[in-house]
Amino acid sequence: MYAYDKFDRDMVDVRVSEFRDQVERRVKGELTEEEFRPIRLMNGLYLQLHAYMLRVAVPYGTMSADQMRRLAHVARKYDKGYGHFTTRQNIQFNWPKLSETPDILEELAEVEMHAIQTSGNCIRNVTSDQFAGATADEIADPRPYAELLRQWSSFHPEFSFLPRKFKFAITGADQDRAAVKWHDIGLIVRKNDAGEVGFEVLAGGGMGRTPVIAKTIREFLPEKDLLSYVEAMLRVYNEQGRRDNKYKARIKILIEAMGADEFARQTEAEWERVKDAHIDVPAEEVARIKAFFTPPPLEVLSIDAPALEDLSKENFVFAAWVKNNTNAHKVPGYVNVTISLKPHGGIPGDASSEQMDLVAALADEYSQSEIRVSHEQNLILPHVALRDLPAIWTDLDEAGLGTANVGLLTDMIVCPGLDYCALANARSIPIAQAITKRFDDMKRLQDIGPLKVKMSGCINSCGHHHAGHIGILGVDRKGQELYQILLGGSGAEDASKAGILGPGFDEHGIVDALEKVVAVYLGERLDGEEFLATYRRIGAQIFKEAIYDAA
Amino acid sequence: MTLLSLTGIDIREWSQLADDENPQEGASVLVPLARLLEDGDAVFTAAGKVGAIVPTSANYLDLENINDKLAFIAIDFPAFGDGRGFSLAVRLRKDFGFKGEVRAHGPVMPDQALFLLRAGFDSVDIADATRIDAFKTSLTRFKDFYQTDYTGGRSLAYARHGNIGTRIAS
Repeated sequence: MYAYDKFDRDMVDVRVSEFRDQVERRVKGELTEEEFRPIRLMNGLYLQLHAYMLRVAVPYGTMSADQMRRLAHVARKYDKGYGHFTTRQNIQFNWPKLSETPDILEELAEVEMHAIQTSGNCIRNVTSDQFAGATADEIADPRPYAELLRQWSSFHPEFSFLPRKFKFAITGADQDRAAVKWHDIGLIVRKNDAGEVGFEVLAGGGMGRTPVIAKTIREFLPEKDLLSYVEAMLRVYNEQGRRDNKYKARIKILIEAMGADEFARQTEAEWERVKDAHIDVPAEEVARIKAFFTPPPLEVLSIDAPALEDLSKENFVFAAWVKNNTNAHKVPGYVNVTISLKPHGGIPGDASSEQMDLVAALADEYSQSEIRVSHEQNLILPHVALRDLPAIWTDLDEAGLGTANVGLLTDMIVCPGLDYCALANARSIPIAQAITKRFDDMKRLQDIGPLKVKMSGCINSCGHHHAGHIGILGVDRKGQELYQILLGGSGAEDASKAGILGPGFDEHGIVDALEKVVAVYLGERLDGEEFLATYRRIGAQIFKEAIYDAA
Repeated sequence: MTLLSLTGIDIREWSQLADDENPQEGASVLVPLARLLEDGDAVFTAAGKVGAIVPTSANYLDLENINDKLAFIAIDFPAFGDGRGFSLAVRLRKDFGFKGEVRAHGPVMPDQALFLLRAGFDSVDIADATRIDAFKTSLTRFKDFYQTDYTGGRSLAYARHGNIGTRIAS
């Protein structure tokens, strides 16, 4: 993974001292709260319902075991002993004291971590495929490009005060695990007919109250032109994006208004004028960054692992875990292990300091000291030998991390909701807990099969409900928390917007309604047909009848 | 009002021409962009040096035909978060090669000093004079930058490989 040089280190150190100074000026009253707000947000510090919340960046979801141990330490020393992994592959600490946040950032800087631009109206942490560099279905590792974007977007002189937040996602694989079509700018690594690497560039995707799927702005952008091209896109947006209404300020609204063709035309015209302005980095810098992402030297291993077979036969949960929580690696005999942070009855995305320490230790022993965070709020050990799976699962299971539900109904994306968030209309966590308890039977979950349930506690859709095969949206109706069901969304390469089925249910009714939706699917599905395919084939009406007419 | 030069150039106050007033022969005057677009010739003919006050909402193309007649452009921020002002300054330098002074007016914050400098501003009109030290501190905080900008400096990506360009000193 990428390692800081003296320049990068200096950058985060200076940022920490700047933030320390800003906090002191705020405490002394030299900065107004109105002024301090964007300053703290650009360093990941929110004011939530009950306390400050600090969001720490995990750039493109890749971190080292040492970094994970430091996160565990921060949670233990400055927080309540846990952290929350988010859909932007970041981690949030829910209870830091304002006065201690500079110290936290200093401790993080020691291990090359920061909270730069994890919030605010600027370019946020670039997200990527959690299996980048380790998956069999990849054209190229997208992380060197994500690192280029990270550096280019940090403290950008022109694009630090955008109309609204701005999110990039990039994938290098055929299968889109990074929801790139739901981003302000999505990048898909492609090869042209000559075999050269470049990008399909998409723009104008986003969730929130106006869900829009991104449109292709350019079919193929050569690798060397990435930064100048996105600069041109950002300039068009910064100049013309709406600033009179924060709900209409995202680039998706601008592109809907002017049309994707016109946005592309203006981008191309501006790009022509800046493509030779040394915005793009020299080839030797691309090579320098790529060298950090050289695949680890893995000895090809046999795909026969007797210990794995034995344990699978005697332990159904382990067998399910191997099936659901691992995916194919580039190198035979290896897999990537997804550690579910969705224990049934637990809080989705949360991990305790002890659990973080365990994951770090397992990474040191089994996964080249490397850990990933997925936008689906799970942790990944990449490059794991098949023969090590029994030992890894046994350790994970003892720590409450052995849930075998990855990709299944209970592996839900869930926002923090009204338990933490100042924006939320409804609680999310208790609903997730009720759902995962209701669907606790692993055999039943396995039978239901791949199913992405995503829940948000308000229209801002941090829980990606628009992209859920089944989405759940919490709303407030005259002081009562109600939950609506949406069906048919996808965050993958076949991206689609979920549609609302009808009126909401209370916190008990929503679990029953979900169960009815699942029952319709089980009754209607063809042999081997997954939920989304069935929904697309039969449509919403039959689901609607089942959950409303019978009620 | 306190003025701070970001680039080190000599700066001074500009007096704004009242809406119903015509410039005195040879006088330096500061005029809203809208008036210059309406009857700019009258002002340019009579006045000596002309400066323009430009709102952040202006289209940079409105300055295409007159920027070479301007000695000074004040970009007027209605709020510190209105980032259009940064792109306007970039446009002036990058697209028009504007060599005159560009100044930030309005409620910009000390913590934005370096962003302003690197976007092409020469100076800031600071509403609260007690903040001048905070502006100066902010201006020199970072020494290296991840971006090539339009003030002459190359990004760190070049510096790492021995090509540092020639950035305007702060």
